[in-house]
Amino acid sequence: MHIFVVEDEPVIRRELKILLENALYQVTAPESFDEVPNQVQQVRPDLVLLDVNLPGASGFDICTRLRAQMEVPVIFLTSRTDAMDELTGILKGGDDYITKPYQAPLLLARIGAVLKRTAGIKEKEAVRLSHKGAVLDISSCSLFVQGQDIGLTKNEMKLLHLLFLRAGEFVPRMDLIEYLWENQIFIDDNTLSVHVARIREKMRTIGVWDFIETKRGMGYRV
Amino acid sequence: MTVKNFLKDKCLLLILHGVCMCLLGAFLRLTGYEAANTGLILIFWTLILLVWLGTVYIQRKIFFLEAGQILEKIDQRYLLGELLPDSFRLEDKLYRDMICCSNKSVIERIRQIEEEQRDYKEYIESWVHEAKAPITSISLVCENGRRRWGKEETAEAGRAFRTAGLENQRLENYVDMVLYYARSEEVYKDYLIQETNLQEVAYEVLEKNRLLLIQNQVSAEASAEEWVYTDRKWIAFILNQLLLNSVKYRSERPVFRIYAQKGKNGVTLTLEDNGTGIRQEELSRIFEKGFTGSNGRNHERATGMGLYLCRKLCGRLGIGIRAESEYGRGTKIFLEFPISNYINR
Repeated sequence: MHIFVVEDEPVIRRELKILLENALYQVTAPESFDEVPNQVQQVRPDLVLLDVNLPGASGFDICTRLRAQMEVPVIFLTSRTDAMDELTGILKGGDDYITKPYQAPLLLARIGAVLKRTAGIKEKEAVRLSHKGAVLDISSCSLFVQGQDIGLTKNEMKLLHLLFLRAGEFVPRMDLIEYLWENQIFIDDNTLSVHVARIREKMRTIGVWDFIETKRGMGYRV
Repeated sequence: MTVKNFLKDKCLLLILHGVCMCLLGAFLRLTGYEAANTGLILIFWTLILLVWLGTVYIQRKIFFLEAGQILEKIDQRYLLGELLPDSFRLEDKLYRDMICCSNKSVIERIRQIEEEQRDYKEYIESWVHEAKAPITSISLVCENGRRRWGKEETAEAGRAFRTAGLENQRLENYVDMVLYYARSEEVYKDYLIQETNLQEVAYEVLEKNRLLLIQNQVSAEASAEEWVYTDRKWIAFILNQLLLNSVKYRSERPVFRIYAQKGKNGVTLTLEDNGTGIRQEELSRIFEKGFTGSNGRNHERATGMGLYLCRKLCGRLGIGIRAESEYGRGTKIFLEFPISNYINR
């Protein structure tokens, strides 16, 4: 996926580029904004992130000119929080409107949502993850171990999901909790231990021990 | 204006007439005029005087009654000078001119203050927008830094970025408070009433504050799957203030819950925590400007603005806000969204 970033603040531009690249997007972020429509035409990105307040031109005008040439999805980024501005943004053909300062997970989620809507992109996440002979099936919310099916709650599933995604390494408790919060499961440290204990208990009933390892002060690993 | 007051006002004139009557009577008596005729003259004199006074009294009474009514009716009372009823009297005209002149200067002064205030507000708004660019930069730097250096071997750096990010978020909230305070006077400029899913707003606010909440070991719960017509941004701001309060005055094992219930007249959104709570005698005053209460005083950073702003914004949006609390057990804040009968889905 290729994202074109139009942002005049150098620090924001640089950090945004890093953030998006870490999220496995390809990023083009020009430093001059006189020829944005032409540049976009050449680069043919899948999405344009457009700052509204640019030197010399307004992001709204650029969006209008872009729209006249091509059908690329546009997300406005702005520090203005006027209701009027938001309305203008939508009327000018923006696909979304995000106000600064944005939260990184929120920004990535909204980018993902627009890409999914416009390009019909499937979720990149695999539906089934396997590790050490266990298969985590996300669509049916269950874990298959030794031919047996263990039903999981939503919280347990998300927890295992991150452990499976980072299989083989110790995932810090903090990372786990943050990942759960980003997935709308708002639990504290104690509750995390409770959930891990429950998963272990479920696995023990079918005779699987030590699937999840604990390292004190570090975190968990599968 | 009563008859008595009126007569008191005219006492000099009455005395003058009385003295003149006495003098005339004495003079006529001395010149040998018939007593009965003298009496008749004095009676007529008195009658004419009474008729004159009566007419003047009624005229004045009507004039001031009218002026009083005008004063009641107009909302900007300093405009009275322009609206006084016409009068042929010289005194009235002079007074009227003077009132007009004085009012004009009042109006000019008000205009000037209004303009200064508007300029100030506009500057605050543009300042807030400028301040948001560096806040965004810092937030992105912290986020990237945390992700890159947050791994176990360099956890120290990760912690530093996390702390900086949290402080930055606090700064962001203070900046937002200024913006919303400046705007709370004229909300109509910045409304975007939309059909809003309260659950989404609750999630947004919880996710936004996740680092703070995780750090303070808060566990949260949100089940607010109700739709209301309101401005999403404003509601998010209000929820944010209430959430921050709950975190500030938390207990040992803090739990924060947001839930919505649909009633006959609207949707009630409840924000519940198990924090320190509010003393019964202070409960009625928590929404007042600058009120910090005993909790606030024990906490160095209470400004008494958060809840005041919440109530003010709720008032503008037509949302009811009230609080229930048990000291030492927790607090519930209720937001009541009315459902208009005019809007049909």
